[in-house]
Amino acid sequence: MRIKTISRSVDEFTRERSQDLQRVFHNFDPSLRPMEKAVEYQRALTAAKLEKIFARPFVGAMDGHRDGISCMAKNPNYLKGIFSASMDGDIRLWDIATRRTVCQFPGHQGAVRGLTVSTDGNVLVSCGTDCNVRLWSVPRPSLEDSDLSSEKSTEPSAVYTCKNALLAVDHQFEGDLFATAGAQLDIWNHNRSQPVQSFTSGSHSVISVRFNPGEPDILATSSGDNHISIYDIRMSSAARKILMRTKTNSIAWNPMEPMNFTAANEDGNCYSFDGRKNEEAKCVHKDHVSAVMDIDFSPTGREFVTGSYDRSVRIFPYNGGHSREIYHTKRMQRVFCVKYSSDATYVISGSDDTNLRLWKAKASEQLGVILPREQKKHEYNEAVKNRYKHLPEIKRIVRHRHLPKPIYKAKAESRAMNDAKRRKDERRKAHSAPGTVVTESHRTRRIIKEVE
Amino acid sequence: MGGLKRKSSSNAKTLAKSKKKKGPHLPNSILKVIASQKRPLNSDEEEDDDAIDSDDEHGGDLYEYEEGVPEEESRKNNRYDRHDNYDYELPEDFEDENVESEDDVNSENDEDDDRHTRMLQSLTGMPSAAFEGESKSKPVLFTEAYPEGEFNPTRDVLEGKNVLTEEDFLAPLEGKPGYHKTSKQIARMRKDTKHVVHAPLPKPQRERLERKAVIGLVDGEFSKWVHLVKKNREAPTVYFNQDVDLGYSTVGAIASEFQPRTEFEKKMASVLNDSEVSEAHRDDGARLLELNEVSMEDHIKNRDHIAKMRSLLFRHELKSKRIKKIKSKTYHRLKNKDLKNSSLGALLDPEMAKEEAMRQEAKRVEERMTLKHKNTGKWAKRMITRGLNVKYDGTRAAIAEQLQMNANLSRKMNSMRDGSSSDESDDEEELNDGSDEDTASRLIAKAKEKTLKTMEDDGVPNAGLMSLPFMARAMKKKNEEANEEAKRALEEYEEWENSGGENSKKPVSVSGRRVFGATAKVEAPKESKKDSDNFYDSSDSDNDMAGIEDNDMEDIRDNASPAKNTNRNITETEKFDDVAGNPASKTTFDVAMFTSGSWKKMAGCKNTESKKESKKTRVPISRDQDKKGSRDEESEDSESEAEQMVDGVLTSGSKETFEIPSQAELINRAFAGDDVLDEFEKDKEEVLNLEVPKPEKPVLVPGWGNWTNIQRKIGISKRMVMEHEAEEKERKLKLKTRKDARLKHVIISEKVDKKAEKLHTTTLPFPHTSKEVFEHSMRMPIGPEFNPSTVVRELNRPEVVKKTGVIIKPVKFEEVNPNDEVDDEHPRNHQKQRPKKKTGKRQGQVKSKDESYKFLIPWE
Repeated sequence: MRIKTISRSVDEFTRERSQDLQRVFHNFDPSLRPMEKAVEYQRALTAAKLEKIFARPFVGAMDGHRDGISCMAKNPNYLKGIFSASMDGDIRLWDIATRRTVCQFPGHQGAVRGLTVSTDGNVLVSCGTDCNVRLWSVPRPSLEDSDLSSEKSTEPSAVYTCKNALLAVDHQFEGDLFATAGAQLDIWNHNRSQPVQSFTSGSHSVISVRFNPGEPDILATSSGDNHISIYDIRMSSAARKILMRTKTNSIAWNPMEPMNFTAANEDGNCYSFDGRKNEEAKCVHKDHVSAVMDIDFSPTGREFVTGSYDRSVRIFPYNGGHSREIYHTKRMQRVFCVKYSSDATYVISGSDDTNLRLWKAKASEQLGVILPREQKKHEYNEAVKNRYKHLPEIKRIVRHRHLPKPIYKAKAESRAMNDAKRRKDERRKAHSAPGTVVTESHRTRRIIKEVE
Repeated sequence: MGGLKRKSSSNAKTLAKSKKKKGPHLPNSILKVIASQKRPLNSDEEEDDDAIDSDDEHGGDLYEYEEGVPEEESRKNNRYDRHDNYDYELPEDFEDENVESEDDVNSENDEDDDRHTRMLQSLTGMPSAAFEGESKSKPVLFTEAYPEGEFNPTRDVLEGKNVLTEEDFLAPLEGKPGYHKTSKQIARMRKDTKHVVHAPLPKPQRERLERKAVIGLVDGEFSKWVHLVKKNREAPTVYFNQDVDLGYSTVGAIASEFQPRTEFEKKMASVLNDSEVSEAHRDDGARLLELNEVSMEDHIKNRDHIAKMRSLLFRHELKSKRIKKIKSKTYHRLKNKDLKNSSLGALLDPEMAKEEAMRQEAKRVEERMTLKHKNTGKWAKRMITRGLNVKYDGTRAAIAEQLQMNANLSRKMNSMRDGSSSDESDDEEELNDGSDEDTASRLIAKAKEKTLKTMEDDGVPNAGLMSLPFMARAMKKKNEEANEEAKRALEEYEEWENSGGENSKKPVSVSGRRVFGATAKVEAPKESKKDSDNFYDSSDSDNDMAGIEDNDMEDIRDNASPAKNTNRNITETEKFDDVAGNPASKTTFDVAMFTSGSWKKMAGCKNTESKKESKKTRVPISRDQDKKGSRDEESEDSESEAEQMVDGVLTSGSKETFEIPSQAELINRAFAGDDVLDEFEKDKEEVLNLEVPKPEKPVLVPGWGNWTNIQRKIGISKRMVMEHEAEEKERKLKLKTRKDARLKHVIISEKVDKKAEKLHTTTLPFPHTSKEVFEHSMRMPIGPEFNPSTVVRELNRPEVVKKTGVIIKPVKFEEVNPNDEVDDEHPRNHQKQRPKKKTGKRQGQVKSKDESYKFLIPWE
């Protein structure tokens, strides 16, 4: 005869420390737990609701500028520092942790339109409508300087003058070249007062320029005549040119996928392109109701943040058609520049109301030290939510956002217009000979051609 | 003026045949410029020499002007006198040596010039190049302001027409010594097509080509990333900065980094880090004592310090004594007031309370240091030595008071409050104090006491509900009963005491359990009494129960709790592993409890007897058989019991004999009254009516639409009837299309469950391609309750793992083998990879860029 008993050795069950967890044994036979799906669904629902409850994205505002903020630059070598410049020529270095100005860089006469920092974080380059390019040496952060009462100001280490007003500047990744955009595209070296190389194209000025972080010699520009161009600075001419229906305000390369970049367009959409195939966008990111002013990729390459003229900041997945998050406050005005922090945890926006705003990239993320068990729990919640995200109830809760009234109305209006247009197209198609009316896909609709 | 005239006349001579050329005679170079500038103005496409002629004819030249004959010469109106021309005139046949210009010579030298050009040239005196360009070139705006030269070539030269060739240069050399060699060399150069430099292309074309080249280069740069990017995208989780060390996180680790900075810290560190001490620690620690040696100096210092403190204390004491001696009433009043204030204030003000506590603490310290009140004082010593404390009560009291004070002050802080709990614990202490043997007797004595007390304490309450007469009577009765009970108990105690005394004399170690049993027995009768009171209140045969109790109380008790019963069965006989027997016995007991006493008694007896029998019989038989036998018996027992039970309940003892009817008959009889099929049909109709409601029949409502005779005659309007018919038709169709339309015995509800709706997606979610795959992806739960802990972390891992506060650098290029399989342990991505896996494998074989691209972009 066999008798089944539970035998538990003392050695196995004695805890080493009183804080240790008791060993628990489970029988994982699924037949014993028929309700697992229901349980997990309920958990997903709870997780979705909790996420909503804990969503507090706004961390704080950085106040100090006397005019609208025109551009920002993050220090690639120092997480806490961010540079911002305003329309009155004021440049400031902020300490994000304390949200105070650390240093000021006076000198520009008109609006500062471009800011960038070298990869080692030592040189700040600024340019503006006063036709000057100024190079500054960035003060090194140290413990002694952390007493916040002293706001230092520094002199530029070099001033180079151009013929035309400058609209944008960007620094090469791990190199000592930087590019300015104005009437033409100029490539500069730190140590030379004249541009090393210049590219001219068309009669319109270049609006924005961005170096590729993966391929340091390749850069993309957008110009006032609705062109997006890709250059290789080792060559003398542009590689590719895309002609779009509307102007592109800013461009951001995906730092993890050097061939892909996303363009922030005047029509309120963002277009993701593959640098090798430009006749159609790979993805159209829609949600903003007004021009997208600036765009910055998360260092993880999985998301990007956009700031728009409609007074909102949105975060998009790199391959998703709609934003996952919208940030807005009552007092935030037109957003002119946005940056994703170098550790992909925060988002910083600079707007017309002279403030920089610091946001969490994940609205409900718990900051600070998280215990392993806590971490596990968070991960599980996220996983469960992700698994059941297609079910209507969870989808509704996760997607739900309160919008400012103007945005809400504008969205409704644009939706109505789009619907009407679509309906009309459908009817036109239905009543004409097959093949004569072709509906263009959204990915190619706003692109006129790729210039040969 | 004369010179001019002469020139014009000479011109007239040279161009005798053609039309007379009018205008100033200009130097050759200027003429050339004029020619080149003149061309665009009058030359259209493909103009011939004739055009030039005509051009000359209508005199479109800008620089030409009509120089008319002077009036004195024209003799128009004879205003001037005729006079002879005194100027020298060349003879008719005079040949000017300078007629042929350099250009003419050139053109003569040039053998390729056709005659026509030469003619023109001779006519106009212009260089041949002008006509050449006019005849062949397209019209272009010319801006040369300077004459042709080495640094300012003409347009012909620029366009590569009418240029000098090597032959031209070679021709004069022919026959010279190096000629052959040079010509050979030139021929070789001509054949050598490689080194020929072609003319540059037009700009837009050139730019397009350039772009094409750059595109190729840039695309190549991009394409090398494809595999890496693909790998990253396919990975279930991307890790960032996992190798970055964020530094220490534990307290110990941080402490190990500590560097002493201040002097005190350094001193401490020097002591702590003393190698000798640490060594001693590492050893058995015996040397620590040696190291702990106090030097004589230190000792003396310490002693002096204590002495000083003592003297200070003494002075303080003296002072306080002096103060106490002060007889001034006002002083004491004020002092008392202060004291009072302080004690009151201590209650009110937390700060005061703190002060008070401090003072108390100081007192305690003082007491502990001086031991003033522990008969160490001079006075107390004297009193004790002389034995005065025994003699005089006052002295003794004073000394006792002092001792009490000392005890209070020197007691440990946590036991400061005088708890009343000690009283309660007293008894227990007393209990614990005694030896094991004592405890039993003591317990009994106590119980005795208590019972006696309760017997004495039978005071009837004077007021309230209990004072009412009938209540009082009832109380009295109860009291009497209780008294009797108590008496009985007392007797028992006495008996036990006697026996217990004997027991206690024996050297048997009485275990705690026994003791407890004894105490339990003390209380047990009470309990049982109470129980019986509550339980058998209705039954009049109290004695009967008692009888039962007397007889086989124990047996019944055993049966009373099934758990106990099973325990017994298992532990004692070790045969009853079939638990099925137990309920039977239980039921028997239950039945026994609720049926008439006599029968119950019988059953109980029988039960126990049978058990005993089984026990007896079991002994000699071998194990297996034994088991079987016992089982059989058990089953028999239970059967018989069941029968008895049935008898007891249904027939109450009287047995009848009837034939057992067949199953069908039984069923028929059981369900004689109801027609199940009919009921079901009705039910189904109801459900159908609910789910597909019947349309309402149109009726004539009195007062609506039937006022006149005509209306009445017409009846219900046709429209309504039609509508009704249509609705009925629709209903029929709906009923027909139902799933249970043909299933007679089934109702399948087609009502939509709104709650279940929530658990379904309306459409197939985006990245999934088939329903099966989607459902498969949702099948396995991921929670820690449903999966072993080793897998849970894997299952729940997020797509991006990063560290907050660490800068993420852009991607660095590394070679990735495209044929490597991505580790797809992540079940969430299973379905994503499944449809694409094929492409991935194919891509391994066909390495075309487009393929990989398609694979890479998920939104394609």
